Formats: sequence, structure tokens, C-alpha cells
Amino acid sequence: MTAWLPLVPLLLVCLGAFALMVVDVFAREKPELATLSTVILFAAAAVAAVMATGKGIAAPPHGVAPYLAVDTMAQFFNATICAGAGLCALLAGGYLHEHGLERGEFYALLVLSAFGAMVLAAATDLLSIFIGLETMSLGVYSMVAFRRGSHRAAEGGIKYFLLGSFAAAIFLFGSALIYGATGHTDLAGIGQSIHDGDALIRLVVLGMLMLIVGLAFKVSAVPFHMWTPDAYEGAVTPATTFMSVVVKSAAFAVLLRVLLTCFGDQLSADLRTGWPGVLAPIAAITMVYGNIAAAQQASVKRMLAYSSIAHAGYILVGVVALHSADPQLRQMAVSGVLFYLAAYTVSNVLAFGSLIALGSYGKEAVSYEDLAGAGRRYPLIALPFVLGVLSLMGFPPTAGFLGKWYVFSAALAGDDSLLWLVIVGVLASVVGAYYYLRVIVYLFMKAPEPGAPVAVPMRSGYVVAALLLSGYFVVKMGVSPAKYIDYALAAVGKLS
Amino acid sequence: MQIEVGDYLALASIVFGIGAIGFLVRRNVLVQLMSIELMLNSVNLMLIAFNRYMPANHAGQLFAFFVIAVAAAEAAVGLAIVISLYRLRKTVHSDRADSLRH
Repeated sequence: MTAWLPLVPLLLVCLGAFALMVVDVFAREKPELATLSTVILFAAAAVAAVMATGKGIAAPPHGVAPYLAVDTMAQFFNATICAGAGLCALLAGGYLHEHGLERGEFYALLVLSAFGAMVLAAATDLLSIFIGLETMSLGVYSMVAFRRGSHRAAEGGIKYFLLGSFAAAIFLFGSALIYGATGHTDLAGIGQSIHDGDALIRLVVLGMLMLIVGLAFKVSAVPFHMWTPDAYEGAVTPATTFMSVVVKSAAFAVLLRVLLTCFGDQLSADLRTGWPGVLAPIAAITMVYGNIAAAQQASVKRMLAYSSIAHAGYILVGVVALHSADPQLRQMAVSGVLFYLAAYTVSNVLAFGSLIALGSYGKEAVSYEDLAGAGRRYPLIALPFVLGVLSLMGFPPTAGFLGKWYVFSAALAGDDSLLWLVIVGVLASVVGAYYYLRVIVYLFMKAPEPGAPVAVPMRSGYVVAALLLSGYFVVKMGVSPAKYIDYALAAVGKLS
Repeated sequence: MQIEVGDYLALASIVFGIGAIGFLVRRNVLVQLMSIELMLNSVNLMLIAFNRYMPANHAGQLFAFFVIAVAAAEAAVGLAIVISLYRLRKTVHSDRADSLRH
């Protein structure tokens, strides 16, 4: 029985989703579904958070082992993913009710997508990566197109679906090439075969590039980001939040695992000969482009979409830092990425949640103009917004600042071959400060145009709860980061 | 004439290329969906061909079955989204879906 113990978070979410679908049939009040899905996801997050310290980790049952890892790193990602998805469920509980979109399937889709994300983050075989990726994506496509009568939702949905499936096909072709080159589909076997030198190296390189392209689509790195702004803007805001926190965490988890396990050898992980040489320029363009494009947006939701592209760039800096052969430096880089993803999750939920809270039925807050003067009229709702954008900007002492700090210092820890990348990152985040501060300026220093529509906040206990929880963690991770970074370091464990 | 694994690889690459070009060039969403199916099927062909030459386990064939199953699920979700777009726009051309461009 102990063998099944480490799978408890996964089983909880999976069975919980089925239970949700049954309850949906009988429930009269749809907000009850929001409560139920939040409870399921937070329970799974709590169990996973305990297991990330190493408690209850045992060898998984027979048949699971080659496909899913249940190590502490997987549990850390489970905790981040479930907490992020739970916060999104809370936001959905307020948003869908307010905007008259209450249909129970949204929660089932959300929880099942979270399940797919957990599978993806734990997958150790190309087959289970593919299944996790698709389970997650199919749910998210439907959530994006959820508002059926809306042109924008259908359009965002179709764009995301087409490009997402295209990326999945490229990823699959890469997987097939690697299978042909090494004879293995499990990541450890592929790594071993490349290490021993009995793989067809040309096919491996081609396959590796295609895997990276497929995953770069999912993390929305430039130049594979075109779907991001449209899908983020077209989707209902809780689904946007889900895409930006959960999908991103899971995609980075699998990127880390593939690069470390398959291509972690000296030659493939070298800055000149291997994948870090490909990812470093992608990281640089992503940071620069994301920030510059975000600064030009008139819609706050679209600005946050481009900001999520920029953040993918910062996180990629941490991934590139894995080029060092020293296990201790690698451990530092991976734990930096883990910390960043957790910090980004709570900060982004805070920003999107405040945007949701500021709009009510028919008066959704979308553009900067909608926010004008809202801070003076409703200071209690503007406050979490300010905290959220400050954290996304990387203002000390918030969680976002320490995330950037750990990632950048990991990149500089070994030698200074990545100094240029960190300089680009710091300069790009200076550009970022412009559009984040613009939110605060509009909230507090602008008066609305006479006669312009004014955003009226909604009243919802769900949204307030999500804001309180994420706000608590943004501050907590900012003022006492040592506890959380130690936690991430322990979850990563010793890397070879 | 003996058919080698390299021939399968070449054929699969050509089919994948046709699919990728079709996806990028055509603007009819249904044709784009078909192009994606073409790409997925080229992957299946390659997986099975590789498995034929590496018969130690059935990883390739197993993989191909999952690809087929997932492709069916993907088509279901994709067509549902296409229908919801068609109801609003009376068209299935992805160029006409441009209300999000500013």
C-alpha cells in the first residue's frame, strides 16, 4: 500500500474531477462546484507540499515507474500546480457567477486540465509526456472557447487550438526521431544511450530541436508566442489565469526534466555545442520582445499576456544556467526556477484576480482607461493590484523580486559566460517597470474622462479569498524567502 | 528491392512536410485540421517502422496507438471550436477571425 502513497495528489485530483462531473448533474447552485473544486485542489496541494520534503516518498507501484516520477521535485510541481489551479477555481467561482456564465463543466475542465498538468510535470517517458500535454491542452482549449456567444473567445480558442496542435505534432515528430535514434522512449534510457554514444547523433540533434520547439510553444517563448496575446485576451479571465500559471509551470517542469535527464551530458549541455546555445538567444529575445510589446498595449489583460511572455524569458535564463556541469550549480539553477514559478503563480493570480474584482457584469475592467481613478474610489481592491504588479515587476521585498534574484544569481554563479544574458534581463525588466507602474498611475493619479464608462467592482467572497491567499504568499515569500528557497533546494535534491 | 528503415524515414518526413506546409499555407480551418492529422499520421508511420527494426519491445507500436486515440480526442475538441466559430462568423477561414488584432 505504501507504494500508492506518493500518487495520492494525482489520484485525489483525478477522482475529484470525476466526482465534480457527477455533482454537477445534481447541484442546483453552481458556486458549490467552485468550493468543491477548490477543496479538492488545495487538499492535493497540501499533501504534495508535505511530500516535497521527502515524507512518504516511496518507489511507485509496478507499472507506474517507467512513466511517472514521484520524486520530491514532482511533488513540488504538484503543489505549485494544484495551488495555482485552486486559486483559479476560486476566481472562477466569482467571475462566472457575476458574468452569467455559470455552467458546471468549467470546473471539471479546470480540474482535469490540472490533472494533465500534474502528469506532465511528473512524466518520465515521452509517451506519458505526450498524454499529459494533451490532457492538459484539450481542457484548456475548451476553457478558452468557453464563452460561446463571444467572437473573441471563439477566435482565441481556434488560434490556440490550431497552434497548440501544430506544436504537439512537432513535439511528436521529435519524439519519434529520438525513439528511432536511441531505441528508447523513457527519458533515462535515452540519456543513457546518448551518454554511451550508441545513438544516431544526427537524428538525436534534430529530435532534440523539435522537442524544444514544441515545448517553447507551450511556455510561449518568442518566436513561438503568436497565439499567446489572442488566446489570453479572448478567454474568460480565470482561464487566462490558469493558462499563465498552471500551463507555464507544467511546461517548464517537463522542459527541465527532459533537458536534465535526456540531454544532461557534457556535450549536449555545453553552452557552445548543445541546447543552452539555442535557448540563450531565445531567452534574450523573449525578455526583450515581451517587455517592449507589453509597454505598447492599451488593454491591461493584453499587457499581462505579453508580461507572461516576458516572464517565460526570465525563467528560461534559469534553464540556460543548467549548462554548468557542476551538480551544485545545477541544483541552484533548478531550485531558482522552482522558486520563480511559485512566486510567479501567486503574483499573477493576484494581478488577474484584482482585474476580475474591479469589474462587474457588463462593466468588465479591460483597458487602462477603465482603471482610471479606481484606486481612489475603491482602495481596498486597488491594494492587491498594486502588490501584484509590484511583484511582477520585481520590486523588493516581494516574491517576484526574489524569484528574479535567484534565477539571475544562478546564471552568474559558475562563470560569467551568461553575464550578457543577465544584463539583457535586467535592462528588459527596467522597460517592464514602465508598464507595471502605469497601472498604479492610472489607479491612483488619473481621473476618469467625464462620461466614460467606469468600472464597478464585483462583490464575491471567492475572489476576496483568492486575493487574500495569494497576497499572503507574495508578501511571505518576499520577506522570509530563506524558508522557501531551502524548501525548493531540498525538493530538487542532489543532481548528478 | 529491399525497403530499409531510411526509406520509411524519408516517406514520413515528406508526409510531415506536406502537412506542415499545408497548415501554414492554407487558411481554411478544416484543411488546417486535416494537415495536422497528416503530420500525426507521419509520426505513426515512423514509430511503427522504427519498431519493426528494433523489436526488443513494443514501445513504438504502443506509442502509435496512443497517438491515434489522442488525435481523435483532439479532432473532437477542435471541431467543436470550429463549429462555435462558424455559428458566429458563418465562415471557417482563419483569416476572417481577426477581431483580436488591433
